Amino acid sequence: MRPLDPRLLRHARAARWYVALTVALGLVTAVLVVAQALLLAHALGRAVSDGVDLGAGAWDALAPLVGWLVLVVALRVLVTVVQERYAHRAAARAVAELRERVVAHATALGPRRLGDGRAPEVVALATRGLDDLEPYFVRYLPQLVLAATVTPATLLVVLGLEWVSAAILAAVLPLVPLFMWLVGVLTQGRSQRGLAAMQRLSAQVLDLVAGLSTLRALGRERGPGARVQALGDAHRRATMGTLRIAFLSGMVLELLATLSVALVAVGVGLRLVHGHLDLVTGLAVLVLAPEVLAPLRAVGAQFHASTDGVAAAEAAFALLEEPLPVAAAATGPAPDLSRTAVRLEHVTVRTARGATPDDLSVVLTPGRVTALAGPSGSGKSTAVEVLLGLLTPDEGRVVLGEDAVVVAADAPSTVDLADFRRQVSWLPQRPVLEPGTLAQVVGGDDEQRAAAAAVTGLDVVVDELPEGWATRVGRGGHGLSVGQAQRAALTRALVVAAPLVVLDEPTAHLDDASERGVLRTVAALRDAGRTVLLVAHRPALLACADDVVVLAGERVTP
Amino acid sequence: MTTTRPTAPRVVELRDSPARGTLRRAVALLEVDRRRFAFAVLLGTLALGCAVALAAVSAWLIARASQMPPVLTLSVATVGVRAFGVGRGVLRYVERLVSHDLALSGMSRLRTSLYERLASGQPGAVLAVRRGDLLARVGADVDDVGDLVVRGLLPAAVAATLGVATTAAMTMIWPPAGLALGACLVLAGVVAPWLADRGARTSERLGTRARADVTAEALALLDDAGPLTVAGRVPQRLAALREADARARAAVDAGAGPSALAAGLGQLATGLAVLAALVTGIPAVGDGRLAPVLLAVVVLTPLAAFEATSVLPQAAVQVHRSRAAAARILALLDAAGTAPDGTAPDGTASAETAPADTAQAAGTRATRLAARDLVVGWPGGPDLLSLDLDLRVGRLVAVVGPSGTGKTTLLLTLAGLLAPHAGDVDVDGSTSGGGTAPVPGRSTSLTAEDAHVFGTTLLENLRVARGDVTPDEASAALAAVGLGTWLADLPDGLATPLGPDGRTLSGGERRRLLLARALLTSTPFLLLDEPTEHLDGAGADDVLHVLRAQHDRGVLVVTHRLTGLEVADEVIRIADGRVAARGTHAHLLAHDDGYREAVQHELQDQR
Repeated sequence: MRPLDPRLLRHARAARWYVALTVALGLVTAVLVVAQALLLAHALGRAVSDGVDLGAGAWDALAPLVGWLVLVVALRVLVTVVQERYAHRAAARAVAELRERVVAHATALGPRRLGDGRAPEVVALATRGLDDLEPYFVRYLPQLVLAATVTPATLLVVLGLEWVSAAILAAVLPLVPLFMWLVGVLTQGRSQRGLAAMQRLSAQVLDLVAGLSTLRALGRERGPGARVQALGDAHRRATMGTLRIAFLSGMVLELLATLSVALVAVGVGLRLVHGHLDLVTGLAVLVLAPEVLAPLRAVGAQFHASTDGVAAAEAAFALLEEPLPVAAAATGPAPDLSRTAVRLEHVTVRTARGATPDDLSVVLTPGRVTALAGPSGSGKSTAVEVLLGLLTPDEGRVVLGEDAVVVAADAPSTVDLADFRRQVSWLPQRPVLEPGTLAQVVGGDDEQRAAAAAVTGLDVVVDELPEGWATRVGRGGHGLSVGQAQRAALTRALVVAAPLVVLDEPTAHLDDASERGVLRTVAALRDAGRTVLLVAHRPALLACADDVVVLAGERVTP
Repeated sequence: MTTTRPTAPRVVELRDSPARGTLRRAVALLEVDRRRFAFAVLLGTLALGCAVALAAVSAWLIARASQMPPVLTLSVATVGVRAFGVGRGVLRYVERLVSHDLALSGMSRLRTSLYERLASGQPGAVLAVRRGDLLARVGADVDDVGDLVVRGLLPAAVAATLGVATTAAMTMIWPPAGLALGACLVLAGVVAPWLADRGARTSERLGTRARADVTAEALALLDDAGPLTVAGRVPQRLAALREADARARAAVDAGAGPSALAAGLGQLATGLAVLAALVTGIPAVGDGRLAPVLLAVVVLTPLAAFEATSVLPQAAVQVHRSRAAAARILALLDAAGTAPDGTAPDGTASAETAPADTAQAAGTRATRLAARDLVVGWPGGPDLLSLDLDLRVGRLVAVVGPSGTGKTTLLLTLAGLLAPHAGDVDVDGSTSGGGTAPVPGRSTSLTAEDAHVFGTTLLENLRVARGDVTPDEASAALAAVGLGTWLADLPDGLATPLGPDGRTLSGGERRRLLLARALLTSTPFLLLDEPTEHLDGAGADDVLHVLRAQHDRGVLVVTHRLTGLEVADEVIRIADGRVAARGTHAHLLAHDDGYREAVQHELQDQR
């Protein structure tokens, strides 16, 4: 892992000015640290060596130096406040930028492209995962910058003052990363094993808690208490085994840091005794020596806090670098779907469960109702996703009219997908409703809404709601039952005058009265001259189709 | 009715600041060993004390050396400086090991008592934990409470001890500088953490809602990526995500002010302590009240004295986080009906549960489970369902009806896990009552629809039913439920591990496995919730036939699938919270319109 990934700067603009600010403040800090040490050494050195001789005039002689020191201390406080103040803001901005990019890219990739079961993982990455970048920005990065500014600056000043001490510090300096690396390499295998054991043990305890209601239902909840205790003890032992080694790196760092300062102090003291050095220089070296290594120690201490965030950032970059599925070539506007047929030609999508659909060809003729039927798992919903250009088939293609390609296995699309989709109204199995009032969710004006609602049966629902059309609907239709949400979505499909309407299992989970509303809606859509694709298996719904395509291939006309 | 009725779960509100004493109760749950904690504090104080002593002694060494005394007078100091240089790292290492061990054993004890109290508490609290998010939170909350020791209490105790010691030592050398150092340590160790805590609280208070919105927006976009793309609504949803993130950011910004001041205060305190020593010390050296060498000590020691306080702002934030986590854990324990100070649960249906393995020893085997004028409902909730029931060994009874009518609650009540709102459930009573209450594991075993599959081997999962299930018994039970070939295909047979929560199983396999587990119990009554869910028609019929063949047990199934119920001795149709019709499948088909319509609808769908 690189300490500062250039991709971070590329993907999060907020990170750029923050790094610039941090570097600027780091340079100022380096100057202030040196200034503070030199002023302190002069004031203190002269007070110790000449204070008794100066007598009552000691304070007057040294007051200007102390005055400058006050100024330096005030400036260091100011720098610290500014750094901390903007670190939080920049971290939040950078995280928000990355989050938006990750979510936008994952959305464009589509759930299928992301792989089954990866959606929760991406959500976890986009939310908690990227939030872990905050300690990286707020704590780790500033120390990294200080290690690049304060450490060389103080070391150079020490070198200018007294080369022996500088040599000791310069010798220790490379040992810090070397020992960190050595301990890291030696412990990596062991601590990874330890980490895995910890996670497993922790998961087992949670598994028992999760299964507690099942254990109670079988009267078996007593025994595992001892097991939770035993697992906890094993967890503790595994963790301690890991920590014993992980803390070693911390100890090596502290040993190197304090021991080198001690060696510098003793060396300076001995040279002072022999008169090879003056007190002011000795004090300056003594004050500066810990400052040389302090940023490195802080980097080491913050390293662990930053690793989660860095790992999340790496996962985010990996996701952002996945290419988008539908390669858009030179795209032109889509033809008018109210006059153009949509053809699925020999569409095959291969999944772990076989080819679903397998060589499916369907023509959606304007003004006709076509139904896709077949057992669950035969690829009906997949066929719809291919039709809508959300999924590239492994074989075959979807064309509008004769040659306007929406999506094809072996060629880029030639149609502006957004323009094509503007002419489509799609009701997935679980209707997607955005938050808003019922009127906003359905759209259209009062008259259109009332007419459409009468067809779908939403009018009955609206009449029963105390606030009628002004009722607020939450995300995903929260506040409505599944049937009510389904009716709202159907009403919207009627109101939005898209020429092609795709209904995926619109009567699933519905009672008979709601089902009749769906049938009326399909009839109304046909009367309005719109093209309808139904994914259905109930006979009543199939009966209202003009063409029924049973997957795979078999075509019947009722 | 021999069981006492559970009281309604106490409603626990999580206020901005948890109730006073929350931390004390939580720390009590960790059962931290005071002597070992004191040892860790001692080690930590000595470790950081080495750093302070290193600064003080090296200042003395250099100042004294500049006066060019005989080298021998410095030898103690040179040895001391080197020893402090080594001691700090080593002592800190030992301290970290001792304190982490302390925290981890505390967390282990907290987990154990959490488990044990949930195990003996009210079932409602347990059912709530079943949900994934809450479960993950319980795990994280235990960790957060445990972190209190290492990241909250220990640094505070070390800083306090060391602060007092350093201040005392400096005051002995030069009182004005010592007192100034003490005041600055209070500034850095008390005021700065208070500010940091306030900052963290501010951003939490303002940002909780916004962060929840960020998660919800991200989830909505990723869940409905396809529909939103087709509807052309992705840009709008991304804008909403951006807006929620902006609100979260504003909250962070509001809290960043106090945090930045806290960091600045730490820096200021160090500077002030040094300056105070210089300002008071230089004139004192001038008029001879302070030895010059000691001036170097009082001026340079403060540079190392603030290391202990520098971690306290973060410690304060940790204390706040731990307190919130502790409040949630205590709320869970309170809801389970067990007071965390160890008092007995205030009455639950299964308080006197004995291990299932002793069920056989409890006496003669029960033959009848009866419910009279039974009204079931969630504790504190409305009445859901009332009915009478007579389940005898050798009989199969099915309860059918739409979802949400209290069938699951009925099963929990019949199993003895929930107390009835009214009426009796008894085992082997006469018509006038007088039997014993059902005891899970002894008289009843309930297989819930979402019964848990543990992340262990297949055999251990079956042994959940009964601890002494042999491999042969297990294989036979799996064969009986139609998993014989599945078992034969498994690479490690009965020793095959099943993923967490049985994620490696298909819906149908899981259902059959749970049935096999139910068959392996030793109880006379089996209660099963939707045993045919996720099975196709033939598979569902198989399951019913297996249950029909349990001649030495009474079996009650709750189901919404009506086909195949001709094997049941009695079918009870529930509607509007009571029994709408009861009788055999054939009888209901002939005489109950609602039942007939439902069966026809089902047949149509299966076409």
